[in-house]
Amino acid sequence: MLKTAVAGLARVANSVAMTANALGTLVVLALVVILNLDVFMRGVFSAPIKGTYEMVQFSVVLIVFLQLADVVRVDRLTRSDGFLNLLHSRRPNLTANLRRIINAISAIFMGLIAYITFPEFLHMWQTQDYFGVPGLFTLPWWPVKLVITFGTALSCLVFVIKVITAQDRPALIRAPEHDEADQ
Amino acid sequence: MTPIEIGLISVIAIVFLIYSGVYIPVALGMVSFVSIWLMRDNFTLALNLLKVAVGDSAMEYTFATIPLFTFMGLIVSKAGLGRDIYEVMTMRFRKVKGGIGMGTVGANAVFAAVTGSSIASASVFTKVSVPQMIAQQYNPRFAVGVVAGSSVLGMIIPPSAMLIIYSFVAEQSVGDMFLAGVIPGILLAVAYVIAIWVMGRFTPNFVGGRVVEDSERMSGREVASKTLPTISIITIVLGGIYTGWLTAVEAGAAGALVALIIAILRKSMTLKSFWDALLETGHITAAILFLITAASIYSRMLGLAGLPNQLEDLLVGSQASFWGIMLLYVLLMLFLGTLLDTASIILIVVPLFLPLAEALDMSLIWFGIITVVGAEIGLLTPPLGISCFVIKSTIDDDRISLKDVFMGALPFAFVMLIVLFILIEFPILSLALI
Repeated sequence: MLKTAVAGLARVANSVAMTANALGTLVVLALVVILNLDVFMRGVFSAPIKGTYEMVQFSVVLIVFLQLADVVRVDRLTRSDGFLNLLHSRRPNLTANLRRIINAISAIFMGLIAYITFPEFLHMWQTQDYFGVPGLFTLPWWPVKLVITFGTALSCLVFVIKVITAQDRPALIRAPEHDEADQ
Repeated sequence: MTPIEIGLISVIAIVFLIYSGVYIPVALGMVSFVSIWLMRDNFTLALNLLKVAVGDSAMEYTFATIPLFTFMGLIVSKAGLGRDIYEVMTMRFRKVKGGIGMGTVGANAVFAAVTGSSIASASVFTKVSVPQMIAQQYNPRFAVGVVAGSSVLGMIIPPSAMLIIYSFVAEQSVGDMFLAGVIPGILLAVAYVIAIWVMGRFTPNFVGGRVVEDSERMSGREVASKTLPTISIITIVLGGIYTGWLTAVEAGAAGALVALIIAILRKSMTLKSFWDALLETGHITAAILFLITAASIYSRMLGLAGLPNQLEDLLVGSQASFWGIMLLYVLLMLFLGTLLDTASIILIVVPLFLPLAEALDMSLIWFGIITVVGAEIGLLTPPLGISCFVIKSTIDDDRISLKDVFMGALPFAFVMLIVLFILIEFPILSLALI
């Protein structure tokens, strides 16, 4: 009963994390497009796009906190687990529990950030405060605060699920990004 | 306990926790949070500092360099530019003893100028260069050692993720850091080539390999088609920054666009691999930037504890000589390098030593190059040499053990150390282009 509930929760959390990740990925693409347009407009027509600076700042926050939970999900958050891998071959149970403790601490850390940034979001939502240069280009603060709360809360949830299910695999290195399909 | 004691204990606790496998940003953030709480005996204050640190540090314009250059590097590897440069380079060096090794170093140096990561270089060249060297009867240890050693160039020659990370911590311009990395990177590549020549001369058995007489020559046209794409990216990125026409962020965006166009023209990019590259970029960016965010909490904690100033008083007051301090710094980085990855070393060590470097009137840009090169030696040394791990996991050949990779890389780590001392003695090498 409890097991199916956790499994269901894990499925929901994982798919939300993957969706957020895809959204963040689109922001990376948008970043490339905006900056190149700006350079082009500035170079050819001497007319840079207004608000590029603010949009870049904005998109950096979106990329980080939309994708954070997915990074946690695939266990790509920076760590050096050489010691854990060594220990795993000798004392697998001890290592699994150690990983649980580490994930629990991480869940608390993410939860703390979500807990303290949420009031910030509410405050910005009520005041409709903005950043940028008034009259030229401004962006509202609240999406920034919301995405930080959302990303860290979701990461907290993914960590909690990892504590319960204890499904972490040891690996020498995680770097699938440099596989070259064509070589 | 005094704040300084708490600060000192937390630095040790962070290193210990990271070594036992705690996620690095969590170790940095959590320990700093608790020690601020203990130091001020005020839970709300600690919470507020955490809030400010997370909110502020994520809104940084120059942070955009990380996703842009990562994306550019991924596209460039997928387009097979690494293999092309390798083929051109080894064509020239074939007839010399250890020639393919020298070619690999040269190709790595050029490839490093279009990627920002040693991991990319290590995995690309393990695939193209190691099998060929072994086919020509090179010593396998030498073959993997060359690839491991020269992969380090990826993080010294700009664009480099480590130079970007340092520039955040030390509040230097990313563009300046990039320009500062050019000459030290070339110097290291030249030192490697000389080292290979010396090894071929005096320890021919370690190098192995036979000299090839029947090397086919490439036509000028072929050479051009293999080198021009890479050269055009280097020109746009470094040229743009050097002339001041592009900021580092814009150079990253322009470089990514050009890389994308090249990949499309070469038909080496499907919609699927394009999307994969974007996804990977996001993952790497989120991981690095979250790490930097956590590190900013840590450096606030250090500031509150007064640890960096204490260290400054201690070392300046003790009349330690310039070389005494630098030797201590290098030894500390070598020690941490056996346990931690390069980014973590930079993020942990630099905030501690920054006030000292400023007090001694050191150039912070030069200090950054020293830091990055010093921390990178750890990529090659056991037990935790990331570059060696990548090579071992890419090579897929049980006859070559992880120990072989480390043993092969050792001479190159030693060459790095010598180059590091040259860079310390002659700051002009780092500062000439700025």
